[in-house]
Amino acid sequence: MSHDSQPHDHGTPEPLPRRDFLKVAGFSTAAGLALAGCGRQRTAGEPALPYAEQPEGVIGGRPVWYASTCAGCGERCGLLAKCVDGRPIKLEGNPAHPLNRGRLCAVGQAQVLGVYDSQRLAQPQIGGQAASWEQVDQTVLGALTAARDQRRAVRLLTDTRSGPTSRWAMQQFCAAWGDCQVIVSDALSHSAVGEAHLQTHGVRAWPRLHLARATVVVGVESDFLGSGVAPVEQAADWSRARDLAAPDGRYLYHFQAEARLSLTGAKADQRLPLRPGAAAAWLQDLLNRVARRLGAAQQEATPKPDPRLDELADRLVQARSSSVVLCGLNDLTCQLLANGLNLLLGSYGSLLDLNQSSFQRLTDDAAVVALREELAAGQVGVLLLAGVNPLADLPDGAAWDKLLRAVPLTVQIGERVDETSAACRVLAPEPHFLEAWGDAEPVNGVVSVQQPVIQPRTAARSLVESLSVWSNRPQGGEALVQTAWQAAVWSRRTTDQGWPAFWDQALANGCVEVRPVALPSSVPQALNVAPPPVDTAPLELVLYAKVGQLDGRHAWNPWLQELPDPISKVSWDNYAALAPETAAELHLLEGDEVELTAGGARLKLPVLLQTGQAPGTVAVALGYGRAASRRFAAIGPRWIGAHPSVNDQGLVGGNAAPLRRWADGRLLDWAPVTLQATGRRLELARAQTQESQVLPAHLAPAGDPRREIVQATTLAAFRHNPQAGAEPLHHGPSELWGREHTYPGHRWTMVIDLNACTGCSACVLACQVENNIPVVGRDEVRRRREMHWLRLDRYLDPTSAGLDVAFQPMLCHHCDNAPCEVVCPVLATVHSAEGLNQQVYNRCVGTRYCANNCPYKVRRFNWFNYPHDDPDAELVLNPDVTVRTRGVMEKCTFCVQRLEAAKAEAARTGQPLRDADVQPACAQSCPAGAIWFGDRNDPNSAVARALADPRRYRVLEELGVEPAVNYLRVVRNAPAAAEESHHG
Amino acid sequence: MAEAVLPDQPLIAGHKTPAQISAEISAPLGQRPNRTWWLLLAISGSALGLGLLAIGYELFTGIGTWGLNRTVGWGFDITNFVFWVGIGHAGTLISAVLFIFRQSWRTSLNRAAEAMTLFAVMCAGIFPLIHMGRPWLAYWMFPYPNVRGSLWINFRSPLVWDFFAISTYFTISAVFWFVGLIPDLATLRDRTAPGLRQRIYSFLSLGWDGSYRTWHRYEAVYLLLAGLATPLVVSVHTIVSTDFATAVLPGWHTTILPPYFVCGAIFSGMSMVLALMLVTRGALGLRDYIQQRHIDAMSWFILGTSGVVLLAYVTELFTAFYTGNPYEAFVFKNRALGPLGWSYWIMVCCNGLVPQLLWFRGVRHRPAAVFAVTIAVNIGMWFERFVIIVTSLHRDFLPSSWASYQPTLIEGLTMLGTFGLFFTAFLIFCRLVPVIAIAEVKQAVVAEQGGAAGGH
Repeated sequence: MSHDSQPHDHGTPEPLPRRDFLKVAGFSTAAGLALAGCGRQRTAGEPALPYAEQPEGVIGGRPVWYASTCAGCGERCGLLAKCVDGRPIKLEGNPAHPLNRGRLCAVGQAQVLGVYDSQRLAQPQIGGQAASWEQVDQTVLGALTAARDQRRAVRLLTDTRSGPTSRWAMQQFCAAWGDCQVIVSDALSHSAVGEAHLQTHGVRAWPRLHLARATVVVGVESDFLGSGVAPVEQAADWSRARDLAAPDGRYLYHFQAEARLSLTGAKADQRLPLRPGAAAAWLQDLLNRVARRLGAAQQEATPKPDPRLDELADRLVQARSSSVVLCGLNDLTCQLLANGLNLLLGSYGSLLDLNQSSFQRLTDDAAVVALREELAAGQVGVLLLAGVNPLADLPDGAAWDKLLRAVPLTVQIGERVDETSAACRVLAPEPHFLEAWGDAEPVNGVVSVQQPVIQPRTAARSLVESLSVWSNRPQGGEALVQTAWQAAVWSRRTTDQGWPAFWDQALANGCVEVRPVALPSSVPQALNVAPPPVDTAPLELVLYAKVGQLDGRHAWNPWLQELPDPISKVSWDNYAALAPETAAELHLLEGDEVELTAGGARLKLPVLLQTGQAPGTVAVALGYGRAASRRFAAIGPRWIGAHPSVNDQGLVGGNAAPLRRWADGRLLDWAPVTLQATGRRLELARAQTQESQVLPAHLAPAGDPRREIVQATTLAAFRHNPQAGAEPLHHGPSELWGREHTYPGHRWTMVIDLNACTGCSACVLACQVENNIPVVGRDEVRRRREMHWLRLDRYLDPTSAGLDVAFQPMLCHHCDNAPCEVVCPVLATVHSAEGLNQQVYNRCVGTRYCANNCPYKVRRFNWFNYPHDDPDAELVLNPDVTVRTRGVMEKCTFCVQRLEAAKAEAARTGQPLRDADVQPACAQSCPAGAIWFGDRNDPNSAVARALADPRRYRVLEELGVEPAVNYLRVVRNAPAAAEESHHG
Repeated sequence: MAEAVLPDQPLIAGHKTPAQISAEISAPLGQRPNRTWWLLLAISGSALGLGLLAIGYELFTGIGTWGLNRTVGWGFDITNFVFWVGIGHAGTLISAVLFIFRQSWRTSLNRAAEAMTLFAVMCAGIFPLIHMGRPWLAYWMFPYPNVRGSLWINFRSPLVWDFFAISTYFTISAVFWFVGLIPDLATLRDRTAPGLRQRIYSFLSLGWDGSYRTWHRYEAVYLLLAGLATPLVVSVHTIVSTDFATAVLPGWHTTILPPYFVCGAIFSGMSMVLALMLVTRGALGLRDYIQQRHIDAMSWFILGTSGVVLLAYVTELFTAFYTGNPYEAFVFKNRALGPLGWSYWIMVCCNGLVPQLLWFRGVRHRPAAVFAVTIAVNIGMWFERFVIIVTSLHRDFLPSSWASYQPTLIEGLTMLGTFGLFFTAFLIFCRLVPVIAIAEVKQAVVAEQGGAAGGH
């Protein structure tokens, strides 16, 4: 593979008109695009021709998979890109990657849409005018030279880019320009973790967490399963730590203290509502109790008896070296206390790995503050911004605007025009990560190749290539990666492979494991810190990142905007979440608009009542109100009753970043806040409005206050009786007509382990991408017409001990006695010989009777035609799945296209079908491995084994519809006090 | 039964001769329509026009213009469908069943009631068509021979049964109505001056010559058709009820639905007939033909069916709680006390309580009061269908999919449009054929007078 010409060598191509683009796409996307880097970029006006000779390995319609690396967030998972006819259409986790092991989160999977985003920055701009790369290079090099001559600083402000190539290119660049520094700033900062380790361990490092070996984990405002640093890896490890079949009987106990109900808190066995302002004191208290038990008490004062805390301390101490305390607050005191606890508990070396430390979020808040001072002092000559958006992400965004404009040259390197672009003189478009060479080293010693799978659709140039040009050592992306790898990766190899073999293998696998870089550290020592006095503000604001939105860099992505938040089930908005009791005190109802005031900044948002939220706190998601969301003004069907998906400002949600604050050189996401009702009311788009399985008291049948849709038991009850928690059937299973169907060949069955499911919503997005599921917009979601074939039901059930949260992926159950099949007048939904309930789109006339008669309400009707809002985005459609038109019913097919492809492949090779060959998109993506799918007629299949699990049950078993989807009961490691189960 | 119920008084007041009857009933047909008629036509025509616009918009844009969602797949559409089918029930009941039971008082009502049936079924028929996602493929509901392999319709689907039931009902009702019209068309033919109008009447009266043999054949055919139509009175709404009764949904899945639906249909149909007859008699001055005895008889009918409907409500509640099915118990609690509880209480009041006023002679003898009761019953019966459909759907098994339903303007206008169609058709009907069966009334009067003469 050689990169014979760099994209920008062809000058500035005219932006391709859409029709031309579609022609190109139609005829020749495969040409030269399938093996990226092999082809050259087509210039405008050049005819698009079909292949004269078919390239090796490319068969029309057959997918080709390339290993690459995800850049959706800092976790940097390995991925496999499915390319059909030269176009990447789906991203799946790379099974060979040691971090994500074949899984990928919702954000990662949604990245493929970005390739076809027509609103990406198409070509460089200087001062708002389109420019060529030559002009950009001239301008930048001129400014760099001037800065060096004037002895002014050169600064590169970037998000975490830990790949060896990035590091190498940055080193080259810095070496070339004297006073040059790289400053890492992520909008979601974990800077305090590094600082705390610098103090306790002598190294500014972020330990990698090995949760799979943990038996007790305490999370303090740490959303490690949701929007944390490495949720895919942690979700898998978390569910492994809760394997009921573990031979040594280990089963993780998870305690979570937090203000808002996070995804992680939702899965915890015990939750404690805790305001962030009180976290340090709480950690100190816990530290004292643990220290006392370990005989290392430094303080004489006897802690107040608190049975819950004492029990927690007991558990932590009992599980020494397999227990860990994780704090998610960007506060040094809290992090030092957590480090002190973990040192006492012996977590370092077992659960917290500083050798293979995490390079996923290397933010240095202090450096950002220092940069701001340099900028204010006018010391910076050239400022490069890559992947950062300080104007939208930082609390002092407005000040940054002025500072950036004052720098002689500011260059923004990024994919899209954002809030910061207006303050930058040069905009240098960066390619999508599927279009460019690169790499990543998410944890020390795991290096992952980022291989392009398609030619850049814009005149973009990656940061490393640009840096090489601006270091006066221009090189192509692939050459840069190879050069950097020879120097920094191959040299750390653990085998004695030669370079070509090493590189080829790394490229084929997508990643390689090498010796970690040794980081100098000192003998760890706990520090005594005095927690600050507990903040007593009546109302405290907590800012957080949503699972699908993170810091807001993907606000352009309609899939992620429509993905309901797994906790609130709201899509298309952020909101001020309040505990119901707090809202009642403030006389606020759901949907009331309030103005939040914190530190002089104001923000208007609708109120959402969130069960599980700590009283006296308001939680607001970051990452909303982004300029990129302006594009959604016209998304969704247009008709006389339609409402736009954006608010009065033309944006989706409101940007809460101005409510963040800088304190002691760190970015804090909590602050005292006041609320003022504005008198307006807004209706949020909620995909689920009844939040609990516990029925409203005045409507519940006598003696039946709750529906056991998600069945749960406790660990003690389960150990006593593995079938504990089973709901007695209201009616015995009865077969009036006997078995109508026989399944002589395959019989597809699914088992979903609700105990493992973390609610991360990766399956929802996987299904959406795989099955061409349209985005319908805010108004349609509000009308309860979202199209997701697989939805994630969430139940918040109040119990005597607090709150039980359960997630349940809900999809077509492919019933043997399907109620939908009998009622369709035109036989548009029929049963297959393999147990699939099939929907025949072109036969459907749309009476919707099937949907009415579906007990699981998983059928989705095309109320309108739903074209992509961006016509280019049609290119992401899966050619194996029919795009449905209006008036047609649709639903989960168990990814029949994947089943048929696997069967065809098995028939071709003459091999029997194996479990791993038949994976619906949801099962494939699930980070926790909670979804098993397979042929239950095959006794050796994993699904057949899972069916024998004593925890297995089926939802609405008593209806006798014989669903093919089974669930495994939740087993909560509830403490003794709450151990009386609902059903004894 | 009727003898016991009805006071022994002449069917037609005013000791009219047959000639007088012919003249009086066909009088409106010969005159130019009056201002009231034009005003009513303008109102109903506008409603029809708005409805057509709404339907056109919906067909062009998508079902999304209705307030339905993934949980509530049917709302105003099927509510209106069942409502109109119910209205269409009284016609056949009055003409066929009462004919077989020799209830001669029906003669003053049956023509209009049958016409009403036809128009109501036409209104009803609109909804299954437009509620489809792809109505241009509605012909797929026919079991027609095709070249798509063995592609056939699903005879297990109640919607298919529905399709056959409604189309059969409409066909038989139309034929029955037309056969009953033949002698009157002949009368009109004979009374009309030569011209196009007479030629049309002449063609439609199928060469009626009033001979003994013609009358004999006519009577035989009419009786046979009455016999054929009688089971349909029961079957149509029974089958409509299977749309719900065969489903798994709590609130739908219940065996009481067929009799409950049939009774409800007769209840609402009779109320609508009575309402219309009260208006017609006032407007066309037919007080001698539609008398208090008719109003009384219809009132007793309404009272009786109201009782059955009320019993059905109570039985449903009892069953829901007695069976111990928690889903079913929840649905009924939710119907009464849930967010859409107001619709349940409208239903109970209008169908169960308001008709009780008809026990009072004072009410029955005030046409305005009776009219008010009949309108209340129709509102109540509309809400009954709404309650059955929407409150069962909106909160079913999984709490996660619970949702609500809010009709849109388009749905409202569509419903208005069907009322427009119904009244427009009725107004035109009043101008084209006699609203009262002249031949039957004459027969009844002659028989009565002859019988009375014989008795003396």
